[in-house]
Amino acid sequence: MQFHRPETVEDALHLMAGQPAKLLAGGTDFFPALGGRRTSDAVVDLTGIASLSGIARSGSSWRIGAMTRWAQIRDADLPRQFLGLQLAAREVGSIQIQNTGTIAGNLCNASPAADGVPPLLALDADVEIAGPDGTRVIPLFDFITGVRRTELKPGEIVTAVLVPDAPASRSAFLKLGARRYLVISIAMVAANVVLSSGGALDGIAIAVGACSAVAQRLRKLEENLTGTVPGSEDFQKAIAEYGLHELTPIDDVRASADYRLAAVRTLIARAVMQAVEGRG
Amino acid sequence: MKFEEPTSDNLFDRAMVIGKATPRIDGPLKVSGQAPYAYERHDVVEDQLVGYPLGATIGRGRITAMDTEAARNAPGVAAVVTTLDIDPLEISSFNNARLFGGNEVRHYHQAIAVVVAETLEQARHAAEMIDVTYEEEEGNFDLEKAWQNGLGTDEADAETGNVDEAFASAEVTLDETYRTPDQSHAMMEPHSSIADWSDGENMTVWTSSQMIAWARKSLAETFDIDEDRIRVESPFVGGGFGAKLFLRSDAVLAALGSRAAQRPVKLTLPRPFIFNNATHRSATIQRIRLAAGQDGRLTAIEHEAAAHEFEGGGNEENPTNLTKLFYAGANRRVKHHDVVLDLPESSSMRAPGEASGLMAFEIAMDEMAEKLGMDPVEFRILNDTQVDPMNPDVPFSDRNFVDCLKVGAERFGWSDRNRKPGDTRDGLWMVGHGMAGAYRGAPTLTSGARVRLERGHLTVETDMTDIGTGSYTILAQTGAEMLGLPLEQVTVKLGDSRFPASSGSGGQFGAASSTAGVYAACVALREEIARRLETDDVRFEDGNVIAGNKAIPLEEISADAEITAEDTMEFGDFQDDLEIGTFAAHFVEVGVHAATAEVRVRRMLAVCDAGRILNPVTARSQVIGGMTMALGAALSEQLAVDKPRGYFVNHDLAGYEVAVHADVPDQEVIFLDTLDPAISPLKAKGVGELGICGVAAAIANATYNATGIRVRDYPITLDKMLDRLPETF
Amino acid sequence: MNEMFRDKIDISLTVNGEPVEGRVPAGQHLVDFLRGALGLTGAHASCEHGVCGACTIKVNGEAVRGCLMLAAQADGADIWTVEGLSDQGTIKDLQDAFVARNALQCGFCTPGMLVAIDELLGKEGVPSRAEIREHLSGNYCRCTGYEAIVDAVETVARARAQKGAA
Repeated sequence: MQFHRPETVEDALHLMAGQPAKLLAGGTDFFPALGGRRTSDAVVDLTGIASLSGIARSGSSWRIGAMTRWAQIRDADLPRQFLGLQLAAREVGSIQIQNTGTIAGNLCNASPAADGVPPLLALDADVEIAGPDGTRVIPLFDFITGVRRTELKPGEIVTAVLVPDAPASRSAFLKLGARRYLVISIAMVAANVVLSSGGALDGIAIAVGACSAVAQRLRKLEENLTGTVPGSEDFQKAIAEYGLHELTPIDDVRASADYRLAAVRTLIARAVMQAVEGRG
Repeated sequence: MKFEEPTSDNLFDRAMVIGKATPRIDGPLKVSGQAPYAYERHDVVEDQLVGYPLGATIGRGRITAMDTEAARNAPGVAAVVTTLDIDPLEISSFNNARLFGGNEVRHYHQAIAVVVAETLEQARHAAEMIDVTYEEEEGNFDLEKAWQNGLGTDEADAETGNVDEAFASAEVTLDETYRTPDQSHAMMEPHSSIADWSDGENMTVWTSSQMIAWARKSLAETFDIDEDRIRVESPFVGGGFGAKLFLRSDAVLAALGSRAAQRPVKLTLPRPFIFNNATHRSATIQRIRLAAGQDGRLTAIEHEAAAHEFEGGGNEENPTNLTKLFYAGANRRVKHHDVVLDLPESSSMRAPGEASGLMAFEIAMDEMAEKLGMDPVEFRILNDTQVDPMNPDVPFSDRNFVDCLKVGAERFGWSDRNRKPGDTRDGLWMVGHGMAGAYRGAPTLTSGARVRLERGHLTVETDMTDIGTGSYTILAQTGAEMLGLPLEQVTVKLGDSRFPASSGSGGQFGAASSTAGVYAACVALREEIARRLETDDVRFEDGNVIAGNKAIPLEEISADAEITAEDTMEFGDFQDDLEIGTFAAHFVEVGVHAATAEVRVRRMLAVCDAGRILNPVTARSQVIGGMTMALGAALSEQLAVDKPRGYFVNHDLAGYEVAVHADVPDQEVIFLDTLDPAISPLKAKGVGELGICGVAAAIANATYNATGIRVRDYPITLDKMLDRLPETF
Repeated sequence: MNEMFRDKIDISLTVNGEPVEGRVPAGQHLVDFLRGALGLTGAHASCEHGVCGACTIKVNGEAVRGCLMLAAQADGADIWTVEGLSDQGTIKDLQDAFVARNALQCGFCTPGMLVAIDELLGKEGVPSRAEIREHLSGNYCRCTGYEAIVDAVETVARARAQKGAA
């Protein structure tokens, strides 16, 4: 194994030009994913690039630098549209993991159980990518293509996650597992909602993780729920009757597929209610 | 010295040091990172190389070829030893699966090579380069299938009365089957050793072992060398729970690597390797039948169980053992099936037999109490026994189980419990209360020690280990008590085969046996001092020996030359005519989420009867630690078997879910003030294994009480209850 | 292969306040550098996987997993292990409370636990028992359970707050 730690994006791109390289961020998924095996590829550590860290708003968009660590997100003073993301940040591994694990690392690792993905999907996040041919921006939904697969091409790096500003949006995140903490999720749900003056759902985004190869937005359910009052009979009915066709959960050591689907319904209702009530 | 009859009044009944809440004397070393665990013993021998193991990736079959050329030529590599390079090593009398050698693969992650290099990174890298060709064979990995085939076959292991008739005529009966999964010890310190066998003659192994004498004997048998040429040291052990009772591959591979490279080698088993390479607690399947009259008295008990073991036996996980003894009842039949499977070797884990047995039996007792319409506490009180129910001539030496139940019910507020399952709500949480009884035998093993008195300072030497249990502290307390010295004037040296052989740590026998061994050595020392003073009437108080009306400082007595004494405590046959056990009652409150079925334990109480408590601080930790491990067993711990391929799938500490801080609520432990004169001169029994017993069933019973859903298949994960919950969301 | 890549990396850092220089293999984990090259004994490797916390050390002021970081990544870093914190005396009250309450048994998890607690106690206010449990859930203990650990942390947090207020 070989190693380099560039200090600028330009240096990183230059290093990666024309040879296979593995990107290392916080390392919290990198080493476990190797499963004890060594990598023969060169490793480019991106944590030395100071410009990739931090959260800032510019115009109608929030920019979260790729190397922003979960502890920074957890502790930042952010509007309530990000509460779900901040709750997810608290669930990423443990404090030691949150202190080193990065937002882009969580996305690029592309685990079906990645905590960061559902809240970012519910936030309509985009991914900013730098490569030899310049910078491109694609929706997060298109960025993750499968289990441990992304749109990132050789020679490219993720530089930021971009989130549209939505001051009226409130959010929540729920995760379920056998243990109280440090769980590998059985299911997780993120919700962002905007309420009308009458208390009905004016806008709603629901994303579910750990129940399919890639976390999913439930767009049809969002449509069905729009206009209902959270907690009302219509609201409950819409969730109860929804087919959850986007999800393809598996049976494994932790839970059966049926359990996952049943649990997801519960979590959706709870997440929306929690977002509405603005509880942390 | 031989302990030949129950002890009478003695100095421990007026103890100054024993029984006091003394902080552990090894604490300062451990909180500063200075305690030398095996892998960090950088200073014991120079020029240490690092070894890295390679494990088989089939469950059963043989190795047809191993290509090691790339590994041997890799940078820094000093030696590669493969299983094909040497004849099969002997299987020691304490082992069942062969630890190394030969082409046969008998379990997944069986060690098949060790690479020795200058650095860990080089050894690890080279180990990956070894190319192995296997011929895979079908194996038998399915306990469930064996259970279905074996159920009801073979003679009973023990039987009294007429069980069938008692069931036929009983007013109330229960017949249910329970399952407990394979579990891992998951001690924090991985198996690690440094071995120096550079000359191929004399071997020194710095390791992490619960049993020094057994480790040494096993090494001698494994390598067919004389025990006198082997030295084993293990002064600090990062947890064991049974995993480190017996020699494991870390020491064997380090020794082989050392002989091949002619330099000392240190080696730790990588965590993902441990689950399948080393041992675990077997899964069990248990059918329990109970019969009782309407008055609540048990008339018949039948317990049939199966657990799996490696060919050659050795598995202690017999859940029916306790059933012979725990409750009254005239008619009884127990049968345990040891099923040979091709899974990795199952072996002892904390309270082998009792832990899994009580997980099932104490649910059955709860179910039976409900059928009878009785308070489960009252039901257990009614069925207490003071004698071995299958052999009524044998009494319990000291059994205060009923007091545990009564004190626990009082302290927990049992009378305010939720009475009807599913009846108490706290917001979205259904709240339930449950309890269970616990029983664990209190064995003793021969244990020796040497004591040295020099300038008034006592040094205790024994090969006893401290696996976190507090041996250093209670042995220092014993020495201080015996010689009338303050604790600061006692040094304890443990875990070295140069010291007298002790009981070692395991089976809940360590505390009782090793303190008795130190007692025996101290008696010998006191007699030697008396002899020198030419009197037989001496007392030891405040740093003095008092002979007649003269007080002589021990410092003075031992000023010129060290006075030493050595003795071994042997436990007499009279103990065979008694049942010596420890008892507890556990009370638990849980909340179960009405929509998701998440189970959260809200509070836990244990009341224990274990004779004299040598040190309330360390004993409390032992019990709380056991309760915590049992919480994991109840709710999340499970090794999942890949049945076609024959290995544990979740073989790391992320996939094998032990309880973490946030899972565990406030816990309380009460020790009854009891003494058991039949166990040892100190009248003290172990508590380390008692703490895990019965707790999981109390959680299961509380979960039932909260929800009305009875889960008989551990762990009680949310998916087993979801479809029966009152609310969909 | 690009010549900017190397399989041995020169690093210079401070460990427990002392400047350290080393040439490390690119694939060496930080905890193995501390144990192997520097001969430290406090940070232990247990799960080697980032879940158990036994290898917790302080890097640039924050508690991290020593098993999930490469030594090469520590170039320029300020690292503290339990040995350094002990020598400094800053966690003496915490260490004393651990011993007094027997918040350890085998002790293998203890150094990592103490470093994680040090971070918690560095924050403002007295943490609740629930907050202590959440903060420490990335540190497994298999012997002692957790009750005595929570007790010890709570005691020290309260004592420090009182001292600060006085």
